[in-house]
This record gives sequence, C-alpha cells and structure tokens, in this order.
Amino acid sequence: MPSVSRPISIQVCAVVAAVGLGACQSLEPTPSAGRQVTVYVSTDRVFSEPVLREYEKRSGVTVNAVYDTEETKSTGLANRLLAEKARPQADVFWSNEPVRTLMLKSRAALASYKSPSAQGIPTVLVDTDGYWTGFSARIRVIAYNTTLVKPGEAPRSVFDLADPKWRGQVAIADPRFGSTSFHVAALYALAGDEKVDDFFRRLKANGVRVVDGNSVVRDLVARGEVKVGLTDTDDVNVALENGQPIAMVLPDKDGLGVPVMPNMVSLIANAPHPGEGRKLVDYLLSADVERQLAQSEAVQIPLHSGVQGPKNIPAIDTFKPMTLDYANVANRVEDATKRLADILGL
Amino acid sequence: MWGWRSSRTFVIGTAGLIFAVGCILPVAYLFTTSLTGIDAAAAALFLDARQRTLLYNTTLLGVGAAVLSTAIGAPLGVTLARVPLKRKAAIRVVLAAPMLLPPYVVALAWMYLGTRGGVLAALVDRDVVASWTYSLPAAIVVLSLVFYPLSMLASEVALRRIDGRLEEAGLVVASPGRVLRRITLPLAAPSIAAAALIIFVLAVSEFSVPGLLRVRVYTTEVFTAFAALYDFSRAIVLAVPLLTLCAAVGAVAARLLGDRIVSARRLTGSHPPLFDRWRRGARLAVAMVILVAVGLPIVVLAREALNGRAGGASLAGSGEAIANSLILSTIGATVVAAVAVCLGYARARARGRVANLADILFVVLFAVPSTIVGVGLIGLWNRPGVFGTIYGTDTMFILAYLARFVPVAALILAAAVRYVPISHEEAAAAAGAGWLRTMRRIVLPQLRLGLAAAWIVVFVLSFGELGASVLIAPPGESTLPIRIYTIIANAPPAQVAALALLQALVIFTPLAVLGTVASLREAH
Repeated sequence: MPSVSRPISIQVCAVVAAVGLGACQSLEPTPSAGRQVTVYVSTDRVFSEPVLREYEKRSGVTVNAVYDTEETKSTGLANRLLAEKARPQADVFWSNEPVRTLMLKSRAALASYKSPSAQGIPTVLVDTDGYWTGFSARIRVIAYNTTLVKPGEAPRSVFDLADPKWRGQVAIADPRFGSTSFHVAALYALAGDEKVDDFFRRLKANGVRVVDGNSVVRDLVARGEVKVGLTDTDDVNVALENGQPIAMVLPDKDGLGVPVMPNMVSLIANAPHPGEGRKLVDYLLSADVERQLAQSEAVQIPLHSGVQGPKNIPAIDTFKPMTLDYANVANRVEDATKRLADILGL
Repeated sequence: MWGWRSSRTFVIGTAGLIFAVGCILPVAYLFTTSLTGIDAAAAALFLDARQRTLLYNTTLLGVGAAVLSTAIGAPLGVTLARVPLKRKAAIRVVLAAPMLLPPYVVALAWMYLGTRGGVLAALVDRDVVASWTYSLPAAIVVLSLVFYPLSMLASEVALRRIDGRLEEAGLVVASPGRVLRRITLPLAAPSIAAAALIIFVLAVSEFSVPGLLRVRVYTTEVFTAFAALYDFSRAIVLAVPLLTLCAAVGAVAARLLGDRIVSARRLTGSHPPLFDRWRRGARLAVAMVILVAVGLPIVVLAREALNGRAGGASLAGSGEAIANSLILSTIGATVVAAVAVCLGYARARARGRVANLADILFVVLFAVPSTIVGVGLIGLWNRPGVFGTIYGTDTMFILAYLARFVPVAALILAAAVRYVPISHEEAAAAAGAGWLRTMRRIVLPQLRLGLAAAWIVVFVLSFGELGASVLIAPPGESTLPIRIYTIIANAPPAQVAALALLQALVIFTPLAVLGTVASLREAH
C-alpha cells in the first residue's frame, strides 16, 4: 500500500515547527509600555467596538476588549469575572442589561465609583452606592406583523399574549437568558408570583414558541410565521430599516409600565488599572457616547437630556417606564428561572 | 525497560506529569473548591424526576449517536479500505467534511430545513417534519451526521492495519462476505468500538445541539446553572451524574473489549479486493452520504446566507481571528498528539486494572463540560507568580486544548498502538536498540496513520473549541469561533449562516490541501 513517505512527513513536521516558533513570537501580546485599560463588554460587539476604538483614538490609551458571546451559546463574561475575582484582569465591565451587573455587585466583584459624567442621568438609573451607572437604554416591546395584524388589534399588554386569539402565534426568547430574563424577573417583582405563573401557564397552553434569541423572535414576526412576539427595540429597528412588515407596541404603558433596560458600566474591584478604568467609565457615560449609540444600528435611547434619540424609537420621557428596584429584580432572576423551567418545560 | 533511569520511564513520566497538571488538575481544583460545603439541597439534585429525565435523555442521546454514527461510518470505512474506487483520497476528505462543521452549524441547517416555514415546508407547501425538528431523535440524527467520520476513519485505519494475507487465506475457503464477518471485522472491532465510545462521550458532552433543539440533557442543565444562575456549585453537582455515566460506559467498554491484541505483521503488500463487485453499490452509498451529510447542510446554509444581508464587514474583519485559530490549532494539535502518543502507548502496553482505570479516566476527563474546564483553568492559573505570567497569554489556549483533548487523542492512539506487535519491540531490544530508538524506527512509523488521524481530530476539535476558550482568551485576542459567537449575538440568520460557512471553509481548506497532497502521492 502506498504510504505517506518519510520526506513528506519530515516536510510536514518542519512546517509545523516553523509555524509554532513563529507563532510563539507573533501571538504573544507585545508588552505595552503605554497606558492601557481592559474592558469586558456584554453589549453586542458590532455596537460597542466602534465606541471603544473611538476612545482609543481620542485618548491614546490601548483598549483591550473582551466581548461577550451570544447568551444562549456560551456562559459568557459574567462567569469569567466571577472566576477571576481573586485576581481580576478587567478594569471595567460594560453590560447591556442590569441582571449581570447586579449579580456581580452582590458577589462583591465591583468597585464603587461615582462618575461626574453621570450628572444628568435619572437618579433611578444610578446606583446610590456608586457600583453601577445606567446609560443608553433599550426597551422591551411587543412586535407584530403589520400584514397580519391591524394596529388597533395588536396586544397592549404583555398579559394579552395569553389570550386564546393569539394561539400558536406568539414567540418569546428563552426567558432564562438575556433581556428576556430581566423582563420576566421584573414582572415577577412587580406583578407577583401567582399572576405571572398563571400568565406563563396560559401562554404555554396557548402554544407559545420559545426560541433562541430576540432576533429570532423578530424574524419569525417579520416573516409572518407568528403574528406577535416579545423582543427589544434594537431588534425591531433592524427589521424596520430593512422595510419588513413589522411594528411595535410599548407594552403596559398604562399599567405596570414599559420595561427599560439600560446599559450599565462598572469599575471592577481590585482592577489592575483603576485610574484608566475610571477615565473609560467617564467616557462611556458621556453624552457623546449616548449620541453614538443612538445614531448607530443599536438605536439606544439616551438618558442624558438634550441628546437626540434614534428615529423609530420613542424618547424616554414620552412613556411611563416600569418603576423598578433593579437590585430587587436581579434577586428574582434565579427563582423566576427555576419557575419557568418547570412551567414552560425548558 | 521500566527502570528508573530508562528513557521510557523519563518520556512516559514527563507525559504523565503534563497530563496530570494540564488535564486533571484544573478539573480536580474546581471540583474540590466548589463542592466543599455542599448542602442537602444539592444532594437532592440526584433524586428528583427531573434528574431521571435528564439521565434518560442523556443516555439515549449518547447511545443513539454512537450507534447511528457507527452504522453510517463503519461501512464507509470498509468501503474506503476494501473497495477499489477512483479518487479515493478526495472521497475520504469529502466524507470527513461533516466532522469539520461545528455541531451547532449542522443543527442550524437542520432547523432551517425542517422547521415551520423552512426549506422542506416551502418545497411541499406544508409542514412535513416541523414537529420532529426540535426533538431527541433530531438531536441524535444531527450528532450522527457530524460524528460518523470518526467511526469511518477509525474503521479504515484499523482495516488498513490488518495483514491482507489473513483475508487471502480466508478467501480460499469462504465468500468475501463471510471473510468480512469472520476475519476482517473482528480484527477491526477494537478500533470501531473505541471510536463508538469516543462518539458517545462527544455526544453526551455536547451542548450546542441539544440546546438549540431544546432537548433537556445534563449539558444544557450545566450551562443553565452557569449562564442563567451563575451558580458554580450547582453546575459542578449537575456534572457529576454526567461524568458518572461516562465512567460507567467506559468501564463497560473496557470490560467488553478487554485487551485484545491483534497480531499483525508490517504490511508488505496490498489487501485483497474483497468487494470488487460491490463497487457500484459502494459508489451509490458514498454519494448518498455525501448528499445528505455534506451537501444538504451547506446548501441550506448557503440558501439562508443568500436570503438576507450577510454582513460583508463582519466577514471581512475576521482575518486576524482566522490566522489565530489556524496557528493555535496547529500548535495545540501537535502538542496534544505528542503527549497523547506517550500516554496511548503506555495505556496500550498496560494490563489489567491499570489499563481499565486509564480508559475510564480518559473517558471521564473527555466528558467534562468545556465551561467547567475553563473555570478550572482560571482558578488554577490566574494567581501570582509563575502561573500568573502564563495566564493572560496565548499559552492559555494551548493549555485549554491540552486539558480538553489529550484524553481523546490518547484513546485514539492507544487503539492504534494495539496494532503494533510488541514482538517488534522485543526483537529490537534483543538486538540492542534502546527504547527511544525503537520508538523512532519501529513503533512510530507504524503509527503514522493513527497519529495523522489523532492530529486531525484534535486540530478540528481545537479549531471549533469555544466553551473553555471564551473564558481564558487574553483580552484583545480572539479565535474565529469566539469572533463568530460575539458577532452572532442578535445577528440575522443570514449573517449567522454566512459565518458558519466561513468557519467550515477555513477548517476545510488546509485539510483539503493535505488530502490533495496525499492523493497526489498515492497516485504517484
């Protein structure tokens, strides 16, 4: 039988060795003699990376960013921050929703810092102890297909989704992860266990489709595979910009209030570069960054007054938000996750 | 040969030390630090109805995937080894391609194909398989379509190791079918069974496919404990039944396989064309497998990618991540193979309880969920001093690959070493050759196919590794899977499909080049 001969085996080994030696030199990060800051980012990379690159350009500080993966595919940065707590590598944590930040605060992984850039941000979105500050928010909405549902017929409340008329026509993202977990925990915190348990039981009986993420919900609604779904404003905006037949309703405007999810930025406890970390926090909380995020595909709602918001998305002062104690909501996440695992069979 | 000063003791001992520090220590560290103070509530995890469902689903998933993968892969291995076909090297590369696709990618293709409003529904104008799309059988099928190449390659390597004269002798008195059943397959059985065991462990430790297809198994529970509850102790506790299951399967496999040593001489000629007349049927079977396992996922993904905006900028900015992945996977596969060949050799030459315990240890370590490995690596290496200088560098990727893949490579190579007669080593020793010389001149040349197979398997696994990598990647550094998974967060399906195809293409290209070179050498 013909075989891989010695010469080619030696050639392959030589190539591997050369690659290896070269890699040892090329892959090791060049020690930076200059200033640097390390930030762990849960906000989508496509939105956050340009903001961080802009900071690099303006400040001359090297930004080492670690981006989070899609929440249902990998355990993510919050676990990394917890695992590294004894010897942190990160200086700053930029989260796209409150749950992870509040969890890290409860595990003493964050440091207190009250940034001067937080002036002008509503006090309800600023931690009194200084462990986190909210900025650039998204809101949870009910998306509906405009070809299949008239504006007057669209559900007005989250609880309307359990109505039998929407049987088999509702999609939600997995409520154990991401912004949906925040929304669900907020419902439990405000409306009570009995009402929310009953709602999800009726939703299950109504044939709700639990899918992988908010973008999947948006796509199902836009394609008409379901008529309505729970998702975020930035997801709906993508479909609107593409001219797809979708619109959104701000749920419970006249009841519980609309769930508002700010980005949150925090300093890490015992960070290796706390000085640079504070400067990055100041930058991220600036009106300039809110403007960048409002004008990008992120379409995030500025919290500083006077900053122009994105088109298609209502301004923060035009609707009634949910009145939330974010710490209380974060405390409800574990219990809500376990309840829904049983109710929805996850 | 096993004296304190012998080269064999030194080399195997060094490999053993690397294995202990690289593979065992991170997991042991996390288990011991997370399980202290476990309360009664955690113990109750073992007993409730939910746990029994998890155990049932996990076992069925592993057994189903192992059986179906072997049913597809072993006949293909026999075909490649015994049926004369043109362009066999190219066929081999194409048939092995599904192994290069991350299981998540194949599951995505399945979803796009079968779900309500998917390709099949569009073709026949009604939901045909929608109710089956998210199910345990679907997960078994998807995993089998990804893992059958392992069985195929193991079978082919094993068959090529068999002395053709044994079959020639059999053909004198029996039909080719009987020779296959009574001589060829029994001689190849240890390798086929070893591959089935590896597939079982890969299937039960796989998260992305059951997660996507909504099948409740232990890995999805471990993931939820980490990602939704940030509860390390709960995640570790949930991993224990999974690892116990793998240990039990490993013990059963070790008992069934025993230490069957195959006597085979170094090949001096070709094998008899057992199935010359089955050429037409073999070509048809190969074509069908290629169509279903390779063509269908790629066509479905390509259709999805072309349906919307694929995001050229995301694809274009992946150059650095691609280079990182290729370099790190190459180094990782080489380092892993070097350590594993020593361990595999030691395992193959061991007897009795030591050998069985080694198999069980390899199986259990391989089954440890990647997130647990990642968190264990952080706990072990992220500390002041020498360890801390390594943490935060790309060396952590290599350590992650070592921790995850030395066990599977050792299993593959142990099976390969079993086909090298110990009498060859004894003859060399009698002639005065030292162990190192014997290994270099006699054993390793006979292992080249097994080494190549192990290297390729580890390369592919390393390239697609995400769970541990995302936890230890130095800030500012990225591999292609990490980059893809950071981009697909809320990305449209078209972009997800395009990036999945990119990952498959990047893995496939260097292996296709290697396959082409081998094919040209074969033709020459």
